[in-house]
Amino acid sequence: MERRRTATVNTESGGTTGTRNPLLLAALALVVCAAGAAGWGGWQRYEASHDDAASFAQARDDALAAGEQAVQNMNTLDHKALEQGLDSWEQSTTGDLHRQLVDGRDDFARQIAEAKTVSTAKVLSGAVTELDQRAGRAGVMVALRVTVTAPEGEPAVKESRLLGTLTRTAGGWKLSALGQAPVGSTAG
Amino acid sequence: MSTTRHLVNRRRRLATTPSRTAGTGTEPAYGEPDTVEAELDAADDSAPDAADAVEAAPDAADDSPTDEAPRARAARLRITLPAVLCALTVLLGAVAVWAFASASSLRDEPARQNAALTDIGRTSEVKGRISEAVGAVFSYDYASPARSERAASTYLTGRAVQQHKDMLADVREQAPEQKLVLTTTVTGSGVEFLDGDRARLLVFADQSNTRTGKDEETTYAAAMFAVDAVRRGDTWLIAAIDTFTR
Repeated sequence: MERRRTATVNTESGGTTGTRNPLLLAALALVVCAAGAAGWGGWQRYEASHDDAASFAQARDDALAAGEQAVQNMNTLDHKALEQGLDSWEQSTTGDLHRQLVDGRDDFARQIAEAKTVSTAKVLSGAVTELDQRAGRAGVMVALRVTVTAPEGEPAVKESRLLGTLTRTAGGWKLSALGQAPVGSTAG
Repeated sequence: MSTTRHLVNRRRRLATTPSRTAGTGTEPAYGEPDTVEAELDAADDSAPDAADAVEAAPDAADDSPTDEAPRARAARLRITLPAVLCALTVLLGAVAVWAFASASSLRDEPARQNAALTDIGRTSEVKGRISEAVGAVFSYDYASPARSERAASTYLTGRAVQQHKDMLADVREQAPEQKLVLTTTVTGSGVEFLDGDRARLLVFADQSNTRTGKDEETTYAAAMFAVDAVRRGDTWLIAAIDTFTR
C-alpha cells in the first residue's frame, strides 16, 4: 500500500517533468507566443488606423490638392469654352468668392469673349500654411505660372504668388478667398 | 507486492531499454529503488514508448484490460491536442503577420511620412529658421560685404552655396559703385514637406533694392521660390534653392 502511494506521488511528479510534456509545453508556449504577437500586432494596427496625426495629415493633403486644383481652375479660361471654364470656377469655390463669381459672371464673360484670350495656368508649388480641422478651414499658398495668349502678339507669361483660404463643404475643400500676396508689406 | 509479472516486466525492460533506466536512475526523484521500480512498472504497463500520468495511476497500472478505452482516448488526445495547438499557432501567427504588415503599410502612407503641420513644433522651427536664413543670405550691404559672406557660410550648404553665389553675382559686382543695399524679407512661408531631417518650404519674399548713390532710389520686387532644407545638429540649413526657372 505504502509503495503504491509513493508510486502515485512519483508518477505524478514524473508526469510534469517527464517524457510527454516537453512537446506539449513547447506547443503551448508557441501558442502563447503567437497569441501575444497577434494581440500586439492587433494593437499596433488599431493605433495605426486611429491616429489623430494621420487623419490631420490626410486632411492637409486633401486641402492642398483641392487648393492647387482650384487655383489652377481659377486661372484657366479659354474664350472658346467660356461657359465650361466659368462653370469650373464656380465649382471650385464657395462662400463670398463664389457669390462674387456668380454675380460678375455675365460681365466677365463678355470681356473675355471680346478679348479672345486663352489663359492656362501651371502650379509650380504649393503648401498648406494653416489647417483647422474642426472649423473646416485651411490656408494655402501657391506659386503659379499663368500664360495668357491673346489673338495677336506673343503669349504673356506671368508668375503669381497666391494666398487662398479653403473651406470644407459637403463636396470637399473649396476656395472661399483668393488673392495675390501683397508686395511691399513686411508682415511675416 | 513484487509479482512474477513485475519481475518479468523488469527483466524485459532492462533488456530492451537500458538507457532509459540509466537516465531515470540519475534523477533525484527516482533515487529509491522502490520508487524507481514503481514508476517503471507503471510505465511498462501502459504504452512502452510513453508514460502517461493518467495511466500511471495505481488503479490503471494494475489492471490493463479495462485500460483500453481511456488509453485510446488518451492516444487520440495526444494526437489531436498538439494538432489543435499547431493549428492555433499557425492561425495566430498569420493574424500577427497580417496585423504588423497592415500597421506598417498604414504608417508608410505618404501623407504620414510628411510631418508638415502635424508636428507643430518642428514645422514652426523650420519655418522660423529658414525665414531668418533667407533674409540674411539674400541681403547685401555695399558697406559691409563681409556680413553677407558670413551669412552664406552660416546658413548654406551643398548645392545652395553655388546657387547663392550665382544669384548674387550681379549685386556684388554693382554694389560698390551704386552703393547698393539689398534687403530681403520673407512675407510668407509654408512647409510643403517635412520628414525628419529634411524639409521643403515654399517662400514668398519681398526684396527692396536701394541705390544710395547720387539720387536715392528704392525698388521693390516680389520673389517666390522653394527651399530644400536639411537639419544639421540643432539647426536648419538651406541645401538647395528652386526658383522655378523653366
